[in-house]
Amino acid sequence: MPEIAIATVGLIKDYGRTRGLDGLDLEVRTGEVYGFLGPNGAGKTTTIRLLLDLIRPTSGSVRVLGLEPREDGIQIRRRVGYLAGDFLVDGRQTARELLTYLANLRGGAGADRIDELAQRLDLDLTRKMRTLSRGNRQKVGVIQAFMHDPELMVLDEPTSGLDPFLQHEFSTMIRDAASEGRTVFMSSHVMSEVQRSADRVGIIREGRLSTVEGVDDLRQRARRHIEIVFDSPVEPDGFSSIPGVSDLTIDGTVLRCRLDGRADRLVKAAARHGIVTISAEEPDLEELFFDYYERQGAGGDAS
Amino acid sequence: MLRNSFTKWLWDNRRSMVTWALSIAGVGAMYAAFWPTMDNPAMREMLENYPDELLEALNYTDIANPAGYLNATVYGLVVALLTVVFSLSAGAKAIAGDEEAGTLELILAHPITRVRLALERFAAFLLVAAVISVTLFVFLLVLSGPAHLEGISTGSFLAMHLHLFLFAALFGSVGFGVGAATGRRGLAIGVGAGIAVFGFAANGLLNQIDGLEWIEGFSPFQWLNGNSPLQNGIHAGDALIMAGLAVLLVTVGLLLFRRRDVAV
Repeated sequence: MPEIAIATVGLIKDYGRTRGLDGLDLEVRTGEVYGFLGPNGAGKTTTIRLLLDLIRPTSGSVRVLGLEPREDGIQIRRRVGYLAGDFLVDGRQTARELLTYLANLRGGAGADRIDELAQRLDLDLTRKMRTLSRGNRQKVGVIQAFMHDPELMVLDEPTSGLDPFLQHEFSTMIRDAASEGRTVFMSSHVMSEVQRSADRVGIIREGRLSTVEGVDDLRQRARRHIEIVFDSPVEPDGFSSIPGVSDLTIDGTVLRCRLDGRADRLVKAAARHGIVTISAEEPDLEELFFDYYERQGAGGDAS
Repeated sequence: MLRNSFTKWLWDNRRSMVTWALSIAGVGAMYAAFWPTMDNPAMREMLENYPDELLEALNYTDIANPAGYLNATVYGLVVALLTVVFSLSAGAKAIAGDEEAGTLELILAHPITRVRLALERFAAFLLVAAVISVTLFVFLLVLSGPAHLEGISTGSFLAMHLHLFLFAALFGSVGFGVGAATGRRGLAIGVGAGIAVFGFAANGLLNQIDGLEWIEGFSPFQWLNGNSPLQNGIHAGDALIMAGLAVLLVTVGLLLFRRRDVAV
């Protein structure tokens, strides 16, 4: 099995006169969960469709599981599970009919897991597709993407429409798949959707990859809201000059600030006083994500 | 029924297919059943007073015998037009309609080639077109005694219904081919409707203009029954041109379908 599950080099896709992808260099390693983040219209769905040979690149190269979509589309699609952003099917069939047919397109692969997965996700297979809620339709989509135990899962905004319980169940399924050595490539326009399960995130803007980071690194570098309660009033001096500290307010014995990066200096400065409690919010990666957008936007990335 | 895309397509469209088969065969049989009321001196006299151009436009020039009557009313008009509507829409739905509904993408993300999927669906359409043709054939055979359709043998009906099937295949391949090539159902139906309107006009109106008689040779309606298979048996030239054009349209449609972007 190749080390790299998905590789694109200088991938360009034009739609008539508009450019969908503008030189995308993407590398997804075998066995990792990769979050592909970007605002709507950045090129996430275009990328995914190129991987599956639904559309063809204007220039640049694509390799999926070591194969070329244009040449070996059948082989790739046999080994890939795909969930589209909007999972659309003919509404006049039952969920079981649809899933059985889709399994048959794979030579029957996965048919034996339909019941087990439906039970896990609490889906009634006898219902006609058109009578299912958006969330329940999405469950059918998740089942068809997972049932044949694909080596690579390509998921376009997979948890949109799922309730929190299902989002949690879905994250577990993703982690299980990853622990079995499968690769997961999932797109989203919200960080919170991928930060739970992804190992790395790539941020795409206007058809190019602008940043790739490990989620743990991001978390370390993310901005946190800190609140420290002292046993006696403190002065702002000694805190405001600490690198990374911003939005500092001191209200008697309570200090509040935002902290970028390591907490070391702030904690040492605080330790000179008597501390009652320290609380730090779980970093909001969403905020960081917006920072990236803004920085890139202001930086004039038209190049 | 869920084994492959051929049976799946038949199964998914079972209701509309049965409705079409019964409607086309039913309306055709109903017109055929009127033959005894047309077959009387008063009616013939009335038609003789009509201008020749009008009779020609209506295909009513040879209406004094059962075959001429069926050619004018059933095969020349109602069944022909209903077959055009059915075939065009069924052909256009196979790829373009499914694609515009957004439901084709899921299937093409599975390990099946585009050509295989498209051919399985077109084969399903052909089967339905054959069923429609056979249904009308059976209805007319049953009616031929009670409706006094004397002088038309079973073999003649078979020949006519082979032409009808090829006519359906031709319009189905227009909807299918244009739809597969472009992904646009409206365009596919529009092109087919344009061909039908031209063909109908060429066969009844334009060919009455001096010097333009040859134009009916380009009309699918002429190929359907202009040489009256009901009386003369299969017309090899007409049958081959319908079959050949259908093969050509399907082939070109598939070639372009393979190359293009899907569901953009």
